[in-house]
Amino acid sequence: MKWAALGSGRVYFWIMTVPAVVYVVAWRLGPAVYTLWLGLNQYNIVYDAAPRWNHFANYTLLLRDGALRQSIGLSGEFAVIATAAEVVIGLGAAWFLDTDPPGRNLLLGVFLLPMIMAPVVVGTAWGTLFDRTVGYIPYALQLLHLPQPQWLATPGTAMFALLIADAWEWAPLVALLLFAALQAIPREHFEAARVDGASGWQLFRRIILPQITGMILVAAGLRLMDAFLELDKVIIMTGGGPGSSTQFVSMFVYKQAFQFYELGYASAVITLLLAALGVAYWLYLRSYGRALGAANP
Amino acid sequence: MMRSGPAGPAAPARPSPPEAGPRSPHGPTAARPAPLKRPVRPRRRAAPAAVRRRRWHLAGIAALLAWTLPPFLYLVMLSVKPERILIDRSQFLFWPTFERYHDFVASGLGAPIWTSLVTSTLGSLGTLVLAGLAAMTFSFLEFRAKTVLFLLILLPRMFPPVTTVIPIQLMLKSMGLIDTKTALVILFIGFEIPLAIWVLHTFLADVPRELAESAAMDGASLPAIVLRILLPLAGPGLLAAFILCFIFNWNEFLFPLIVTSFNARTGSVAMMSFTAGYKKLQWGALATLGVIMTIPVVLFVLAFRQSLVRGFTAGALKG
Repeated sequence: MKWAALGSGRVYFWIMTVPAVVYVVAWRLGPAVYTLWLGLNQYNIVYDAAPRWNHFANYTLLLRDGALRQSIGLSGEFAVIATAAEVVIGLGAAWFLDTDPPGRNLLLGVFLLPMIMAPVVVGTAWGTLFDRTVGYIPYALQLLHLPQPQWLATPGTAMFALLIADAWEWAPLVALLLFAALQAIPREHFEAARVDGASGWQLFRRIILPQITGMILVAAGLRLMDAFLELDKVIIMTGGGPGSSTQFVSMFVYKQAFQFYELGYASAVITLLLAALGVAYWLYLRSYGRALGAANP
Repeated sequence: MMRSGPAGPAAPARPSPPEAGPRSPHGPTAARPAPLKRPVRPRRRAAPAAVRRRRWHLAGIAALLAWTLPPFLYLVMLSVKPERILIDRSQFLFWPTFERYHDFVASGLGAPIWTSLVTSTLGSLGTLVLAGLAAMTFSFLEFRAKTVLFLLILLPRMFPPVTTVIPIQLMLKSMGLIDTKTALVILFIGFEIPLAIWVLHTFLADVPRELAESAAMDGASLPAIVLRILLPLAGPGLLAAFILCFIFNWNEFLFPLIVTSFNARTGSVAMMSFTAGYKKLQWGALATLGVIMTIPVVLFVLAFRQSLVRGFTAGALKG
C-alpha cells in the first residue's frame, strides 16, 4: 500500500512503529555506540569516578597485549574446528533425513533439541559427562584401560571437550539449513541421473553438492561467527582454564570487564571485535547473495 | 546460474557410453513406481533395494539418536539416581528416587525457575506487542523511510550480545534496577524485537496485500485494518515469534549473570552457582535443575515443531 493512501492514518502509523524503533535504539544500538566511545577512555569502575579520555592508550595496549593475541588465536582455532565438525555432521544428518526415513519429522525435532535448549544446560551435561567422578566418558576409558586425562583440567583435552559440546549443540542448525536446501532440489534431477547410471557418490558429488554449496557456505559462515564469540559453555565448563588455555575472546572481554573492572579496555577490545565482525558480515552477505542466486535457478 | 541440466555435465557414467547420454528419461530398465503424491526416489532393483533401504534407514535412525540422546538420558539418570550410589558408575539399574524433585522447591531452587518463567513470559509478550505493531505496518505499507527504519531495527542483530553488556550494566545500575525482575523484563523485551519483527515479517508476507489495500480503499482506518484483517491472519506468525522469544529469553545467560546476583537470578544463573564453591559436588541437584530447565523446551519442540523449524530457519538466515 502506498504511504499517500494512508491519509490521516499516518498518526496511527507512527504510534505503531515508533515504540519498537525507539526501544531498539535505546537498548541495543545506543549501548553499542556507547561501547565504541568507552573504548577511547580510561574507565576502571573501582579507581575512576568517570570515564576519562586517554589518548588511544587502550588501543596501543591492545596491540601489545599477548594474552589478547592468544585469545584471538584460540577463538579462531575453536571456531574453525567446531564449524568443520558441524558441517560434516550436519551434512550427514541432513542427507539422511532427506532420504525420507520413517518418522522423519519427529526425528528432526529430536535432533534439533540440543540447539534449542539452554547453552548452560548443554555445558553442564557435557561438563558432567567429562567429569572424573560421575562422568561416563572417563569411565568408558577406564573400562578400556586407556589413559584417563583430567579432561577439563588439561589444556588440550579441555579444548576438545568444548569442541564436542559445541558440535553437539550446533550441528543441528547446519543440518536444518542444509535439509531445507536439499528439499528444494527437484526430485527429477536425482531420477534422471540415476537413469543415466550415476552411482551414489557421483549423484552426491555432481548433482547434490553443487546445488547446496551456497547453503553450506551460509551455514558455515553463521557458525564461524557465532563460535568465534562462544562464551556460555566456556564459563560453565572451564571458566577459561586451565590457565588460559580455553580463554576465548569473549571470555577475555568478560574477565577484563567483570573481574578486573577495566571497562575502557574491554570496550576497546569489543570495538576491535566489532570491526572484525563487520568485515566478516560483509563477506558473508556477499556469499549469501550468491547462495540465494544458486538456490533460485 | 544453475548447472545446465541434471544429466548434462554429470557422470559420464561407466555402463553407458557418452553418446547414449540423452536417453529417454524413462530408462529401459527401471520398473518405475506409479507416480505417488510425493515423488519417490527411483529404486535400482525392486525387492532387495527396499530391504536395503529399510536397513539403511534403521541404521541411520540409530546413529542419529545415539548422537543426540545420551546427554539427555545421562542428566535424567543422574537426577533420579540415589545419592549413595551416585558416583558408582557401574550401576545403571537402580530404583529411581524422586527426592530431588521433591526437595527442589524446599531448597530454594524453585525461585530462579519461577523468575525465569515470569520474566521470559512478560519479556516475550512485550516484544510481541512492540514488534507485532511495527511488523504489521512494515508488511503492507510502502514508504520512503521504510528501509531506514527497517535497517535501524535489524542492525542490532549483527552486534553480538557481548558488545552491549558493559553499557547495559552501567545503565541499569544508574537506574537502581540491578538484581530486579524488572531489569530482566526490560532487557528481554529489547533483545528479541529484531528477531520477532523478522519472523513476523516472513510470516506476514504470506498474507495477500490486496486484503489490506481493498480495506483501505473502502475507507478503513489503519487500526481497523490491523485489528480486523492482519491480526486474525497473523496468528501462526505471532505464535512462532512468541515461542522463539520465550526460548531465547529462557536460555539467556550472560545478561542475567551480569545484572542479577541473588534475588532475581534466573534458572541458568542458578546452574552457574553449582560450578564453583561448596555446591560443586552436588551432581544430583545440578542434574535435576538441568532437567527442569529443559522441560519447557522439549514441550515446545513436541507441540510446535513446524512453527519452530520455520522460525529458526528464518531467524538464522536473515538474522
